Parts: sequence; C-alpha cells; structure tokens
Amino acid sequence: MAETSSKIQTFTAGLWKENPVLRLLLGMCPVLAVTAAVKPALTMGLSVIFVLVCSNIVVSLMRNLLKPHLRILMFTLTIATFVTIADLYLKAFMPEMSSSLGPYIPLIIVNCIIICRAEACASKNGILISIVDALGMGLGFTATLVLLAGIRELLATGMFFEIAVMPKWFVPWAAMGMPVGAFITLGLILGGANIISKKVAA
Amino acid sequence: MNKMKFFIQQSWLLIVASFGFGLLLAATNAAWQPMIIQNEKDKFNNLANDLINEAVSFDVALEAAQIDIGKGKIVRTDIKKAVDANGQCVGWAFVAEGSGFADKIRLVVAVDAGAEKLAGFGVLSSNETPGFGDKIKHDFFRLQFMGAPAVPLELSKIGDDAAIDSTIVAISGATVSSEAVVKILNDYVEQVKSLLEDEGSI
Repeated sequence: MAETSSKIQTFTAGLWKENPVLRLLLGMCPVLAVTAAVKPALTMGLSVIFVLVCSNIVVSLMRNLLKPHLRILMFTLTIATFVTIADLYLKAFMPEMSSSLGPYIPLIIVNCIIICRAEACASKNGILISIVDALGMGLGFTATLVLLAGIRELLATGMFFEIAVMPKWFVPWAAMGMPVGAFITLGLILGGANIISKKVAA
Repeated sequence: MNKMKFFIQQSWLLIVASFGFGLLLAATNAAWQPMIIQNEKDKFNNLANDLINEAVSFDVALEAAQIDIGKGKIVRTDIKKAVDANGQCVGWAFVAEGSGFADKIRLVVAVDAGAEKLAGFGVLSSNETPGFGDKIKHDFFRLQFMGAPAVPLELSKIGDDAAIDSTIVAISGATVSSEAVVKILNDYVEQVKSLLEDEGSI
C-alpha cells in the first residue's frame, strides 16, 4: 500500500510539485523554441517522454554497475542513443514534422530534464519507480509545452491544433509566434504557477 | 598487465554499452533509412511537380554539378531532367541553397526545357521568421518567378507584383529573405544553364 502511494506521489510530483518547466525551470530551450504551435510542441513532448522512459529503464537496470566517475558518460551515451532513434523515427514517418522541429529533436540529448532524472531517480531506484517517475516528469513537461503552445498558437494565428477557432474580427498577434511571444507567455505562466503554489502552501 | 586489468575493470560497461547501443542504432538506421531517402525524393518530386505540372518523372541528368555561389564557395547539386508522359524533356529541376535571414534556405528551382524561363521555386526547407520571412512560401511572392525570364533578377521594393518580368517585388518586412531567394536564383540559374549548354543538353 505504502509502495503504491509512493509511486503515485512520484508520478504526481512531475505534474506539479516538481514540474520540470514550471518548478525546476529545466529544458527551457525546447520550451521557448518549439511552442509556436501545438502540433510540434506535442511531438516534442512525446519524443521527450519516449527518451525519458527508455533512458530511465536502462539507467535503472545498470545502476549497480555504474562507476561514479563514468556515470555521466553512461547517461549521455544512453540518452543519445534513444534521441537518435526518436530522430530517425520522425524523419522516416513524420518528415514534415521532423523538418519543422529542425535541430530541437537532436538537442534533446542535452536536455537537463533527462540527465537530471537519470541522476536523481533512475540511478538510485528500481525499474518500476523509474518508469513512473519518467512518465510523471514527461507528462508534466508535455502538458506545460502544450499549454504554452496553445496560448501562443491561438493568439498568433487564431487557430488551435491548426483548426480556426477565433471569431472573424480577431486580428492575429504575429509577435506571439516569435521568440518574444514565447518569453512573455512563459513569464506569465511562471508567475501564475508561483501564485498558485503560494496559495496552495498557505 | 595490472594497468590493463584496471582499465577493463573501470570501463567494461562503457565498452559493452557502446557496442550494444551501436548495434541498436545500426539496426534502426538500416530499417528506416530507405524510408528517409524516399521521403526526401518525394518532397523534391512534389515541389518540382508543382512547378512543372506535365512532368511524370525527374531523372538525374548531371550528378553533383559544381556551382560557384560566390566568395569562393563551391557547392554541388544534382540537376534533374523533367520528363513528360511521352518521354520528352519538359524542364530541369535542382536543389539550390543559400543563406537566409535566420538560417539556410533550401529551394527546389525549376526552369523550362530550354532554360530560358523560370518555372518557379518551391521551399524545401527554411527557418525564416514566422509571419514575415516565411512569406517566401506564399503565392504572392512565388508567382512572380513563374514564367520570369532566366536572366539575373532584380529586387525592388515597389512595383507591380503581377507583372512577370525580371523585377521581383520584395515582401514588405522581409527584405533580407526576399533578397536571399533572388540571390540563390541568380547564383544558380545562369550556371546551371551554362552547364547544361556545355553538356549539349539544351
């Protein structure tokens, strides 16, 4: 029972309390770069979940064999392998999406969230808890990306998931599709998350 | 001997993992590479087919043709012959690239059978500013090139964008991207034409 509740706690931590974007401020590069529209943001989020789950499984399996001074090298090797697989998959099955995401899929290799979870969780815990942690963190990351991308796509193009939803009189704000829109929206979301967490704590 | 033992003790996991991951990547690559190559061919053919509608196939006529893009830079591109259903040459198409505002712009450029008129260009990949530079993909800009003479083009900030001639009206707010496209065409078309003449193809 206690074990189940600790798994639930690990899972929900990634969604809010330790949300990688809103609370830990990790992985800011893709957060700012691929959130101009929901589709690329969702693809990025799912790719990160895939890499996170696979690398956590592998790191957890070899956690007792890791030498302290070689562990980061092993993490990077593991992560790079799964990122390359994700990149090849997108190039083969979703070529349009792959070209619109450009270098940001290969850049998952240096995404701090993944190496952070390998170090903080998978290298110290069993396989089940590592998978639960990866899913929680990955979903937290994806949900935040989709939220940010949803706001930006809506205001920049009047569309959501490439479907027009805004009334005809709406004038698109081109700036929201550009880096400035990413910074402003992220700042407001971070501020909002801070207010909510303070209220919850009080 | 002790040194060797120490080395293996410390790094065996890294060596085994490198081989394991290497094999995994090799297998993935072998499985998906044909699809990736096909996707790239399809993308080229679709864009080139939009420009030369009567073409049914594009066969490489000049492989790795050398193009001088200025400042001593030489790039290579395959010049493909567009063939219609009767086996007649209906034009030529090739990939052309150059620096854009934010990143490299890669275009598919097509000319008619005599390389006297442009059939137009399609954007293979670009990373221009959304809402501004990415308008190089829009018809307003692209249509100006369709049927324009294959002579050095000039860019103008004002003028009639409906007139098909060697003067191209720039996209307002995206002069750099407009200039980049015109420069790419000017760099490539003349040289491709003379290469084809040298070969006796036109």
